[in-house]
Amino acid sequence: MFSLTRVGLHSKALLRPSLARAITIPGLPQVPQPPGNIIGTVNDAYVPPPPHKLEGSIHWTSERIVSVGLVPLTLAPFLTGASTIVDSTLSALLLYHCYAGFQSCITDYIPSRTYGKYHNYANYLLLFGTGVAGYGIYDIETREGGLGKVVSKVWKA
Amino acid sequence: MFRNLIRPRFARGLATSAAPKDTRIKRFQVYRWNPDTPEVQPKMQTYEVDLNDCGPMVLDAILKIKNEQDPTLTFRRSCREGICGSCAMNIGGRNTLACLCKIDQDNTKDLKIYPLPHMFVVRDLVPDLTHFYKQYKSIQPYLQRDTAPVDGRENLQSIEDRAKLDGLYECILCACCSTACPSYWWNQQQYLGPAVLMQAYRWLIDSRDEATKFRKEMLQNSMSLYRCHTIMNCSKTCPKGLNPGKAIAEIKKQLAFD
Repeated sequence: MFSLTRVGLHSKALLRPSLARAITIPGLPQVPQPPGNIIGTVNDAYVPPPPHKLEGSIHWTSERIVSVGLVPLTLAPFLTGASTIVDSTLSALLLYHCYAGFQSCITDYIPSRTYGKYHNYANYLLLFGTGVAGYGIYDIETREGGLGKVVSKVWKA
Repeated sequence: MFRNLIRPRFARGLATSAAPKDTRIKRFQVYRWNPDTPEVQPKMQTYEVDLNDCGPMVLDAILKIKNEQDPTLTFRRSCREGICGSCAMNIGGRNTLACLCKIDQDNTKDLKIYPLPHMFVVRDLVPDLTHFYKQYKSIQPYLQRDTAPVDGRENLQSIEDRAKLDGLYECILCACCSTACPSYWWNQQQYLGPAVLMQAYRWLIDSRDEATKFRKEMLQNSMSLYRCHTIMNCSKTCPKGLNPGKAIAEIKKQLAFD
């Protein structure tokens, strides 16, 4: 606290207005943030989170490969007709695509920095939802004869 | 009587002095907040400026307001020519430098001036950029080498390698791009933001720099780099016409199979 007073970040800093409020989720308790978002003194460099390739480049690259891969997989059934392999690959990649998209939303809007353990809870909930959806896809593939068939059925109905 | 005819009627003026024109009053609405009275909510204060008696840029207008109407109006300014990056503010809904932004000559419309969005406000139009500078410091924006230069004097660079730095080194760190980025609004505590990432890229591709491994490693997490969702507000708003969005995409490309 002494160092904060010395660099001019006294308690009044807490009252300073920030032009647009960060999105807050009503009902979720928040972790208090340091004044002016400054950790340490003003002269210390910001310390990034520890490197973790699975959350960094590998995650990003797999996301992109899946997104690009979805394009031919979506078009293939129109050209060649439905096949179980193409259909189940499409549904699995689509599921991962949705999972990664929602995960990105959670990292953006329910960060562990502000919401602490609720960040993890949100991720568990997403994982559970993805599991249920995965079982649903398995069900569609085995009993309904694939996503393509369901879509064409709905299209004709 | 004769002398009256010889003596000129009016004192001769300078060639530049023009005949008095009509006044063209434009209203400027400026964000005001005083840290000495934190219980008073921030408010917009309206000033009227005669455009016929004012320079062409927004900075001219707010300097005129400060000089002639309200000396308490607070803002940063220094070079008045887009080199220092001090006078970055949100003018008419766009982050830009007040010294490079022309006043809209349509005086039926008010011009609204706010500090850079989603930053803590120190006073009036002065945002707190401390965290922004801390982030800049974290990317170690200086040449790092383990080996001494080959000729013992200078670290030489080919013309092609030098050309790679064009469009990157011109950044003046005015923070217009970072504060225009929604990802930076929500996660500025951890996301580095376009301005700092563009400088990170500038050092990544510098042929003389040998700390590439460290520079790449510090971006390998979910927050520092990958909160960029290519919204591209950064490239749209940059008052210097640079392209931070492209620089971030290039970093992602370099890291993709790293």
